[in-house]
Amino acid sequence: MAHFLPYPEPPEPPLPPPRSINASRKSALLVENDSSLLHIFRRSLKDEGYTVRTAANSKEGLRLYRDFAPFNLVLIDYFVPQSKEVEIDLLAELQTNGTALATAIRETNPSQGMVIAALDYRNAGEVPRPRELMHIPVLVAIRQLRSLLEKIEVDRAIEALTPSELLRLQRSADFRVQGLGRAARGRTGEDLLQEAELRTLIGAEDTQKGRHWNKDVDIERHLTEAMRSISNCWKRQFKEMEAYLMSDFLIHDAEEQEHSPLDNVASGHKAADQRLIEKDEEERVLSKFKDDPEATQVLHGLLDGLKKNEIMSKYGLGEKQYAAAVKRIRVTLLGPRNGGGERRKT
Amino acid sequence: MTDKRNYGDPLEKLMNQLAESVLGLSDAAILAETSEAGADPEQEAERTRSVLRRASEVLENVNGRLSNLGHTINSNGWYRGRSGYHSTCVACGSFVSFTTATGEMRGEALDGLCPESDQYTIRRLEASRE
Repeated sequence: MAHFLPYPEPPEPPLPPPRSINASRKSALLVENDSSLLHIFRRSLKDEGYTVRTAANSKEGLRLYRDFAPFNLVLIDYFVPQSKEVEIDLLAELQTNGTALATAIRETNPSQGMVIAALDYRNAGEVPRPRELMHIPVLVAIRQLRSLLEKIEVDRAIEALTPSELLRLQRSADFRVQGLGRAARGRTGEDLLQEAELRTLIGAEDTQKGRHWNKDVDIERHLTEAMRSISNCWKRQFKEMEAYLMSDFLIHDAEEQEHSPLDNVASGHKAADQRLIEKDEEERVLSKFKDDPEATQVLHGLLDGLKKNEIMSKYGLGEKQYAAAVKRIRVTLLGPRNGGGERRKT
Repeated sequence: MTDKRNYGDPLEKLMNQLAESVLGLSDAAILAETSEAGADPEQEAERTRSVLRRASEVLENVNGRLSNLGHTINSNGWYRGRSGYHSTCVACGSFVSFTTATGEMRGEALDGLCPESDQYTIRRLEASRE
């Protein structure tokens, strides 16, 4: 495949993604020589909140990139000419200045969000491009632009998350899934996190279709809210179709005789079998803290639905004692995720 | 931050409270707590990032494959069903689904090129006439 860029330079170290996409206005580099398409793309990008720099050929595009990178987005027309002195020949095969520019930018910054516009093709599979560009989104219809931009923004935001933000997300996901009990149906915190992100990428307005990410909210908070909503939804769905096998409850005595504990549970507002399972789960959690009276007190308080101040007042705990007990509970219940933590599949 | 809809059974409430308490931890505190739990914070954070990357890749793979075949799926046209996400090509109506856990894709839309792929595509010349 022909490459028309005349001045290959040694690759530079990858540029870090900008720390926060909310901190400044988003920027885009648009490389397009067709004036009508330039107008359409520029208008679309401005509508999405981008400030746009434009270049009409690959040489100028690379110069702007080197002068002003990183950009939130680089949008390159497949058919841009090499330079203003060179006329584009739409009939020529393998007219690949767009992909040559994309390759050069990728060598400079492998994580640069890019889109190649190839409106002359019916589908992305028809667009000839080097292997290293196969993962870069190809735009064959203008109406795809918005969803591609959304994906690039979400990907950038994920890359910009700090270790502490990622840990908070993962640990809160793990706790939420533990809280689901049987309703988790084998799902883990990672599943919840992925579901939240996927629904963001799908990006519609409700939990059935997706969750639109309002960019005024940072991605950590957005995913947190999404996980809260999704886990509540999983619980509701499970309750609607909940059914138990009797074998889930049968216990065997020393004589190997089967007994059903349901026989001794009074029916009440909540299904007796359901309450029994919940009680069993509570006991299992409490048993981990039998040598830690303060953690046990805090657990009892939380299980009774008490607030922090109520728990501190009821058990005579100070602020530091309470915080330390909650910390011990968190560390014990989750533990290291590769080891002895509570990462069971329910 | 509090869970305004903190309903559910006691254990669920407990775990949701713990989830909320994690979100309130400072950067230093969550890093220290992760170390205290016996894990390497950096490694664990990167593992979480790769989990998030995977979700994005799954959707990208599905969309890429459909795009290569000329199918048109509205980005917000995916519906969550019990067996994963599903949608139909707006041009030819063929069905496609995928799951996040395995990345598995299914459906007649993956069997071949969209027979109606020209219908919704704005070509360069058409755009140039605008």
